[in-house]
Amino acid sequence: MTTLLTTLARRRLSGVAALGGALALAACDNLLVAKDPDIIETATSASAAVALKNGVVVRFQAFTSGQQGPDAMFQFGGLLADEWRSGDTFEQRNTVDARTTNVTNSFLASPFRNMQRTRNDGRRAINALRTFSPVPGTNIALMFLLTAFAENLMGESFCNGIPFSDLTPDGTDIIYGNPVTVDSAFKRAANDADSAVANNTGVAAEVTRMANFAALIKARALLNRGLFAQAAAAVAVVPTSYVYQATYSINTADNQNWSLNVSGKRYVITDGEGGNGLPFRSAADPRIPTSAGTIAFDGNTPYFFTTLWARSDPVTVASGIEARLIEAEAALNAATPDVATYLAKMNEDRATKAGLAPLSDPGTQAARVDLLFRERAFWMFGTGHRLGDLRRLIRQYGRGPETVFPTGTFFKGGNYGTDVNFPISIDELNNPNIPQNATTIGQSTCINRSA
Amino acid sequence: MTIPTPRNLIHRPLLALGLLLGMAGSVAAQGILSGRVTDKAAGNPLVGARVFVLGTSLTASTNADGRYRITGVPGGEHQLRASQIGYASITRPITATDQGATTVDFALVLTPYSLDEVVVTATGDQAKREIGNAVSTVEVADLVRNTPVANMNDLLVAKAPGVSVLPGNLTGSGARVRIRGASSLSLSNNPIYVVDGIRVNSDVNSSAIGIGGTNPSRVNDLNPEDIESIDIVKGPSASTLYGTDAANGVIVIKTKKGRAGKPVWNAWMEAGAVTDRNTYPTNYRGWTAGATVANTTQCLLSGVVAHTCVLDSVSSFNPWADNQSSPLHTGARQSYGLQVSGGTDAIRYYVSGDWEDEVGVLHMPDIFQQRLLALRNIGQVSYAQQNPNGLRKTNVRANLAVNLSEKADVQVNTGFVTSTQRLPQTDNNTTGLGSNLYGGPGFKHNIVNPPGAPASFVRDNFGYQRYTPDEFFSETVSQDINRTISSGTFNYRPTHWLAFRAVGGVDFISRDDGDLCRRDECTYFGTSKLGFRTDARATFWDYTGDINSTASYHLSNELSAKTIVGAQYVKEKFSRNSAQASDLTPGGVTVNSGANLAADETTTLTATLGFFAEQSLGYKDRLFFTAAVRSDKNSAFGLNFQRVYYPKASISYVLSDEPFFPKSSVLTSFRLRGAYGASGRQPGPNDATAFLAPATANLDGVDTPGLLPAALGNKGLKPERTAEVELGFDAALFRSRVNVEFTYYKKTSRDALVSRIIAPSAGTVASRLENIGKTLNEGVEASINTSIVDSKQFAWELTLSGSYNKNQIVALGGVPLAPGVTNWSREGYPISAWWTRPYTYQDKNGDGIIQFSSNPALNEIFINSNDSLVYNGPVLPPAEFTAYNTIDLFKKKIRIQGLVDAKVGGYTEFDTERIRCQSRLNCRGEIDPTAPLSVQAAAVAVRQAPSSSQYGYIYKTDFIRLRELSVTYSFPDRWARMFGASRASLTASGRNLGILTKYPGIDPETGYFGSTGAALTNDFQTAPPPSYFTFRFNVSF
Repeated sequence: MTTLLTTLARRRLSGVAALGGALALAACDNLLVAKDPDIIETATSASAAVALKNGVVVRFQAFTSGQQGPDAMFQFGGLLADEWRSGDTFEQRNTVDARTTNVTNSFLASPFRNMQRTRNDGRRAINALRTFSPVPGTNIALMFLLTAFAENLMGESFCNGIPFSDLTPDGTDIIYGNPVTVDSAFKRAANDADSAVANNTGVAAEVTRMANFAALIKARALLNRGLFAQAAAAVAVVPTSYVYQATYSINTADNQNWSLNVSGKRYVITDGEGGNGLPFRSAADPRIPTSAGTIAFDGNTPYFFTTLWARSDPVTVASGIEARLIEAEAALNAATPDVATYLAKMNEDRATKAGLAPLSDPGTQAARVDLLFRERAFWMFGTGHRLGDLRRLIRQYGRGPETVFPTGTFFKGGNYGTDVNFPISIDELNNPNIPQNATTIGQSTCINRSA
Repeated sequence: MTIPTPRNLIHRPLLALGLLLGMAGSVAAQGILSGRVTDKAAGNPLVGARVFVLGTSLTASTNADGRYRITGVPGGEHQLRASQIGYASITRPITATDQGATTVDFALVLTPYSLDEVVVTATGDQAKREIGNAVSTVEVADLVRNTPVANMNDLLVAKAPGVSVLPGNLTGSGARVRIRGASSLSLSNNPIYVVDGIRVNSDVNSSAIGIGGTNPSRVNDLNPEDIESIDIVKGPSASTLYGTDAANGVIVIKTKKGRAGKPVWNAWMEAGAVTDRNTYPTNYRGWTAGATVANTTQCLLSGVVAHTCVLDSVSSFNPWADNQSSPLHTGARQSYGLQVSGGTDAIRYYVSGDWEDEVGVLHMPDIFQQRLLALRNIGQVSYAQQNPNGLRKTNVRANLAVNLSEKADVQVNTGFVTSTQRLPQTDNNTTGLGSNLYGGPGFKHNIVNPPGAPASFVRDNFGYQRYTPDEFFSETVSQDINRTISSGTFNYRPTHWLAFRAVGGVDFISRDDGDLCRRDECTYFGTSKLGFRTDARATFWDYTGDINSTASYHLSNELSAKTIVGAQYVKEKFSRNSAQASDLTPGGVTVNSGANLAADETTTLTATLGFFAEQSLGYKDRLFFTAAVRSDKNSAFGLNFQRVYYPKASISYVLSDEPFFPKSSVLTSFRLRGAYGASGRQPGPNDATAFLAPATANLDGVDTPGLLPAALGNKGLKPERTAEVELGFDAALFRSRVNVEFTYYKKTSRDALVSRIIAPSAGTVASRLENIGKTLNEGVEASINTSIVDSKQFAWELTLSGSYNKNQIVALGGVPLAPGVTNWSREGYPISAWWTRPYTYQDKNGDGIIQFSSNPALNEIFINSNDSLVYNGPVLPPAEFTAYNTIDLFKKKIRIQGLVDAKVGGYTEFDTERIRCQSRLNCRGEIDPTAPLSVQAAAVAVRQAPSSSQYGYIYKTDFIRLRELSVTYSFPDRWARMFGASRASLTASGRNLGILTKYPGIDPETGYFGSTGAALTNDFQTAPPPSYFTFRFNVSF
């Protein structure tokens, strides 16, 4: 075959080809630059540290009362307890209401994860604040407090066997934790509340606000551990008028007590649920104004709702009212029950609300406990206390689970189950510290399901 | 024939690379070959036949007179081949002379099968005999003319073995396509699409607005009328050179091109009906004391056995079948188009334009329209609200091919589509049709206070559960598309042995998604009654640049070689701005009219740069060996992973061309083929990166900017890698009247990207992609095409095809992927297979009612006690079969075509019935004491037993469907000439005409879906497929 290029031309061409190839390869990286403006890769400034702090508040708002499907813990816990009944078609809610939550319930992992994210995001924000924006210290205190709040609520809501895992400092890898008891969770909460106090510096009013919040969270953790006197001592400084609230707006999230109950009709306010539940409707208590609607979202369940909250109303997560109730409980649990203080503290709260007459001594210790927990339930309805309280009735006051939780025939078919807390989601099996049995769907990371 | 020196052997591949970089030299002219290609039987010229000199880059197409001319032919001996689709090719030895002219004529014979058919590959056109893979080709032009093809879904369904297609069931909705099973657990299992050499967007569920059901697919923007053929490249053994993302297969589309000759005009008119011929489930109600039409008090069988209620009577109502309540009507379809093609030897053109309009089967019932007329004080409900599902589309295309010289040609292809679509609220949607109609009570006039409405607001729902069509069809979801796919191909053949090809193009889409609920018009759900508006405007840019150069040469008289080197660059950019408003002012329809405003912006970018080299060897034009490698770098790979290499090798051996092969009229030709290749799937653009995302925090009542850790990232992230081995044979029997193709394949995906769930205690994101999986798809495909009878009066051609695929997760890296309620991806089983807890039942007391009781003595339902899940079956049908008949009658004046297909071995959940029993409380199994015990047991197991099981709703989806039937009458030529036409025909056709199945749901192909996952069907309050009946008039001038 006749060649058509001279040898010289071929050599030149080969050289140029090699050079061209090298240039083309060098140009690769430029061609592959695909910068996505949607993401932010670093947070290394004072304003970014503050923004990280604000992000932790977003998590906090979400897990308390700002998220549905999966639901926030204030609502989900109330559903397992006797505050709410499921007027919904979603089995994820119906089974929780029936106390038969499976570890595969797809609503289970998210609120737990959000609380854990509050903890780990809080740690990241603390590091950033200390590096780039250490003043005021109240910002750092708040991060410890939201962490403590999440840890305490996890202990109140989930079974014994809660793992607490951590992220590496660069936030890209995981240091897995082992399951611990709920008591360990309460200890962590108390410790983090103490850390908040240690960092609580800045403008006086904000320092006071954080100090009161810290006192309440610590007291709540101590109460959960049965350390009643210490709990009362912690909240002694908190004025009855004090509130710390999770706040909402149209641009952030709706208050889910409104959204799920009033707007969506998926949650229905109960009345003596499962025999043991409190009469939240029929009591006609001014603390929980209720109204009757027609049919809930599922098209079958009679519908009732409370007008306590509008769409963007704040939800109180800690208050001076609670402080007095803690003091009342401490008085009741004194070696010699101080019934007078017990009544006085509860009546101090009641004096703040029109239409509530002072309480008198019901006469027996058991009745006093009932009355106290009833007061707690009515004062703090829908704010993430009731499930923890029912568990405390079992754990600290010796009540049988079937005497405090809804029981008997479940109104949507079948019977109530035996849950007194939430299991950890099956997703936690991805924690290598959890014993694996991949063939069994019902496996839980729980050490036990007791209260 | 001249043989190059060893030095040339080294330089020619290098020169191919040099030419790739634009540095080729020029050469002098040599000899000329010319001649004519005709149909041997009829003697008429064949237009567009390809004539090429084997082992060189020299090629030409015939003009309107069937003539061709090839210049630059070096003197010496050559093999010259002429081929045309539908004809047996002929190869002739010729002797060319330098500076001289040689004339060679060809008379081709019709044949249904030829190994010399040309298919489109990543590096250009190639004869089938040279390729070691099975490539299925769909000749589209004939299908569109003579069968009920409304969109790309219809073109692909049941057309090729191994290609599973679930057509969309709403007008304008997209199809889900799986080729040789599903390989990826967490990424898309959809194939990629290439049109005229460039990558195009093929997103499924392409919309910013959720409707609860299947959204549009960008594949359906493509116009079947403009497509010449579709080659389906089924797996990595063939798709290697298409690069990362081609592991799921490649749909290669070639649009129509002009042919030299006088202008040929084709026009058509199509009109028809879209109907819903499905049978829907009936709703039940158990009446008892205290029950009224305004409350939900009823007595279920569980109450009967518990003696908590007395079942007075059972009523039933099927709103789908009720004249007043039914939202179904007969939709309409019409289409009109005109095409012209022609040109000269130098310039050829194809220009087309068409318009189509389709209105789906959903319609606001008159009774609800009357309600709106009174409520809104209007004379007529708007057309869009009356007919919430419709599509109107206009296509134009201009393809131009220019021979710049005898060595260079250029093709420019441009298509433009503009469409507007309306989508209904349906399927998995609280405020949609499905949940409200499947969930309705077992009687017609239910008085309802809908959720969200004032307690005083009650109305007759006519059998709908909560919301009614006057409300949810008043929400108008629209999508406007303006899309252009433009590409250019430049071919340059500086010498007889060197060819250069450059392809470049862009696919641009402007997509405007709108969602409008005027104030006071939609449901009471949430704040919808206050009105809302979403205006989401997105643009998609897909750029492709592809260059390669081919050196063809002979290593000896019997050994030919071809070296191809090339590079490809693909960049995809998506950006969207969305504005939302709620609480609209009365009469307001824009975002501006909302009291609450919000906006968001999103952008995604990916880029891939790949280089490839391919070396082919051909021995005596009967044994071909090809080896190639492609290397890709992608913007989505992790920082610790830079470049991926995909090798391929194939062999094709036309055994019947060997002298020793016995010549027989029984076995006309026989080819063995085998291939190995690898390809990949790239992760998402940000999956490798740890990043933060902006968020708004409300601090004590004040909205404030915040930052959220949003992704863990994965520095080592790399693409999934799928390697495939394919072995098969092609045989033509009885003078090619029977043609058999058989293929075995084994496709293994390593480093499979799994969205690994992160333990919630880690306090970070829910999952991240990790390369930890390994999946396997192994199967066989076979097709038999036979011309049973072929006479002037009567001809019958039958094509049978079938495929079987075994899908399996081989490894998950020890990660216990959490099971869902009914689906689980587990090692040793198919991806996302069905897993439930089985149960048994026994009517112990003989009362005809299955009951659950916590008392073991009374309990009659027994659910697997140890809480273990049991494998039920795969989501994808492993086996598929099709039978395609073409019958010509009366000298081919009448053509009947029919397609029957079957899918076997798949499972799905009759989830519509499950939710009816579990929470709507209107299913027969829990209300009617005469219901079969199995039906009762399913309801009891899912609703009453504490360890609830959905086992009773998992069913096989086996079916046989009469998919297409059409009859075409070709008018006598003299009739056509009366109108100045050369040809005219009328086709009557139907789609989805009948089905045989034991599946108890509405239809086993019912489905809505997301863009990933393995499953084809999801029967959850979902629209089933409608039927089409159309008439089409074709005329050519």
